[in-house]
Amino acid sequence: MVTSRIDEWVTTTWRSVASTWGLLLEFAGIGPDVDPHTRVTFRAIADAVVPETPALAEELGPEHVAGGLAVDLDEFAITYVDDGFQFGLPHLGPQGNMPIADPIAHVLDTAALTLLERGDNEEEPSLDRALSLLGPDDPSAAKTESAVGPFAKLSRRDRLRAIAILDEFEVEFSPTDHDLLELDAGLVGQLVVGFMEMIYYSEWQGYDDFTEPPSRRNHPNDPDAVQSWRQTGFPGFANGYAALRGYVGTDDGPLGDGDAWTTIDETTGVRIRRESGSFRENDYDTGGYEEPFPVESG
Amino acid sequence: MVEDSYDAIVVGAGGDGPVTAWKLAEAGLSVLVLEAGPFHGNEQWPNPHEEPGGEASSSVEDLSGDLLDEQFTTREFEMITNLVFGPADHERGFWFRKFPGDGAILQCAGVGGTTLHYTGCHPRAYPASIDEQGHWPIEYADLLPYYREVEEMCEVTPAPVTAKEELFFRGAEAAGWDLIEDLNVTEPGYRPQPNAIKQPDGKLHVDADYDGDFTYPDVEGDSLALGNIAGNPHPRGAPFEEKAKRASNVSFVPAALRTDNVTVRPNAFVTDVLTETPRGDTPTATGVEFRDTWSGSVERVEAEVVVLAAGAIETPRLWLNADLPANDWVGRGLTIHFGDNVMGLWDPDDLEETIGKPTVDQHEGQDIAARFDYPGVGMLQTVGTAPGIGAILGFGASASGFAFQNDPADAPWDTMGRLAGGDLKRLLSDHRRMLQILVVSDDRPHQRNGVTVAPGVADEHGPIPVVNYEPSEGDRRRRDELARIAADVLREAGASHVHRSDSPPTALHVHSTMRMGKVVDEACEAYDVDRLFVADHSVLANGVGGANPTNTGQALAARTGERIVERHF
Repeated sequence: MVTSRIDEWVTTTWRSVASTWGLLLEFAGIGPDVDPHTRVTFRAIADAVVPETPALAEELGPEHVAGGLAVDLDEFAITYVDDGFQFGLPHLGPQGNMPIADPIAHVLDTAALTLLERGDNEEEPSLDRALSLLGPDDPSAAKTESAVGPFAKLSRRDRLRAIAILDEFEVEFSPTDHDLLELDAGLVGQLVVGFMEMIYYSEWQGYDDFTEPPSRRNHPNDPDAVQSWRQTGFPGFANGYAALRGYVGTDDGPLGDGDAWTTIDETTGVRIRRESGSFRENDYDTGGYEEPFPVESG
Repeated sequence: MVEDSYDAIVVGAGGDGPVTAWKLAEAGLSVLVLEAGPFHGNEQWPNPHEEPGGEASSSVEDLSGDLLDEQFTTREFEMITNLVFGPADHERGFWFRKFPGDGAILQCAGVGGTTLHYTGCHPRAYPASIDEQGHWPIEYADLLPYYREVEEMCEVTPAPVTAKEELFFRGAEAAGWDLIEDLNVTEPGYRPQPNAIKQPDGKLHVDADYDGDFTYPDVEGDSLALGNIAGNPHPRGAPFEEKAKRASNVSFVPAALRTDNVTVRPNAFVTDVLTETPRGDTPTATGVEFRDTWSGSVERVEAEVVVLAAGAIETPRLWLNADLPANDWVGRGLTIHFGDNVMGLWDPDDLEETIGKPTVDQHEGQDIAARFDYPGVGMLQTVGTAPGIGAILGFGASASGFAFQNDPADAPWDTMGRLAGGDLKRLLSDHRRMLQILVVSDDRPHQRNGVTVAPGVADEHGPIPVVNYEPSEGDRRRRDELARIAADVLREAGASHVHRSDSPPTALHVHSTMRMGKVVDEACEAYDVDRLFVADHSVLANGVGGANPTNTGQALAARTGERIVERHF
């Protein structure tokens, strides 16, 4: 079965990568530079999740073209996942954080191979496509070529299809036969899609350096300073808004009070009123309660 | 300064622990509250994520609104990173918990616990969920005096209406639902949220042409800027206790400190419950062992009574790691309000007609200020989010793959699934014209769902929690029904596009893993360990019908505080 084979592969990869990293960290006290395979894979993730979209220029405006790679989303994502979880165990380095960018990249390659094996890819993999993701600061294409894995060679849509395969890792937990990685494939999808989207659409890009301590971070809170804010129209964080319309209530009920500001429904008398009332401390009777839907035991 | 012994130790300064601590201290007992995370807005810890700071705080004079302003920036990504369950040290990542699939558990560490993220929603349980569903050994009526006390402390009032709430109310009314004006809800309908947030200054009315600052004392009470999920320091400039959101750090913690009987010790992760067992008898709790999360040093403190209030994940984890007596229900029966997200998108002209302006502007007003109740099924609530949190909650995860892989056909939504790529960018370009509805279902306790620990997979505090959750068929049907109602309300409000996430199980509300009647008795004292009480959402016997659990958790914690004094002092 594909799932169990992937589990095994992932577990082995995880263990070897984690122990290599652990040794390096233990002896050197620092982590090595980002692995070229991890770098190109994370560029492929960022490019699939928040792509450059020239087609949106005409439809929505030129500010909607740029994607995650334009703001180095991939680089921050590597930092974030490597610093994001900790077990506090000494062999993982001084902070006890568990570097997981490399294993994630390998898990995605496995998912890509599964997609290809099933023939569910819509376009053929392409090395040139992967190399085109490299930025000006990356090592040359010739040097990177050998580091490109199957995931980065997929088309954008096929990369998403490969990520979706990870959702099949609905592995049942057995307390006597646990395996950390076996349980966590779904987390990879969450990290590379959900967290990637949260980071990109948040205020993240506006910091001078998010890895600084909180008291030393600067953020301009300017709607023009964050690429994603220019795309969503989010105006930045504010101290307040004069946005009060009033309090909902009925003509003869306790909730709203004072003049009606607007009417929600004339027949029921529900209006937005100027002043607040309060909820009613009502008597209640649950005697007629019936389960709207069946309840199973267990 | 932490002493060697106290009358009572409370493990966890989250939403509920400070309530019990306050009750015990009011009765004259000495109380130590141990909290795994940092203490924000306290002069003992001016940079709580960067330096170990002081040891403990025992005085309300330590609380500082200015520090809270500085530390609660309301910037969503930064605040998520600072508050989500992990050590105070910003260089270290989150504490790892295993959750199935690509769902997640959203809990906070720090004084205030997950009420630092919560949106102030403070409804009561649905009476039928306690009196008719067969899970509870006590009656709803037993909770009523405690609800009233908690609601007064938290200043619970009807939430204000801004554009997004008006849009929802118009949709709900047009869909044929009635307005509910009651505290004890027995029939379906919609209503403003009973929120533990001070109501906004009347001068913030849209017709009042206010052009002043939104800071205290120019503005008192809520300032109607989104920010509850990010801590909420509004109104800026206000003293600590004048902050609008009555999270437990602002409501119960100051009240507890003011008794001069309480010491709060943050950065203290409890790893063991100490017991003595007379031959052939039930063990008796005598204290705890905790580890300082900055230094790693370990200390022991003794007490007459130990109260576990570490939350519905960590309380059973602690029980299991402390090797307390086995009980088939420790950690079991987890409910998480199996949820979903249904999002509406509007054309500008339609919005102009419905709410008088071309945008919804979910960043204005309280995060969650309008709701729909359906006893026996669950609830819906509108959610305003900044775009980052909106993206991960609404679009970043799905149990049914990406939207482009699904054809919803005749379903009441136009698209379903995870969104990414050009589809996501196109949709989020309309962020100011969208409104999300959070589906919160009345999932029922099943013994298969819950918290275990993974032997061999340990962090610095012992084997990590492994959470299992698989909804039942009934849970799924309740959630589907709520998603259909949400889509209908959005359509009736004029939405031109409706998207359903089909979210994977995600734990925003976490309860019922140490259930009353199974693990603890009617006073919330453990059946199997004397003088060991539980005062957090884990003792709720079910998910209180799908209503937000904070009010019920706190009401029960207040009741437990009184029971402890009656039984043991």
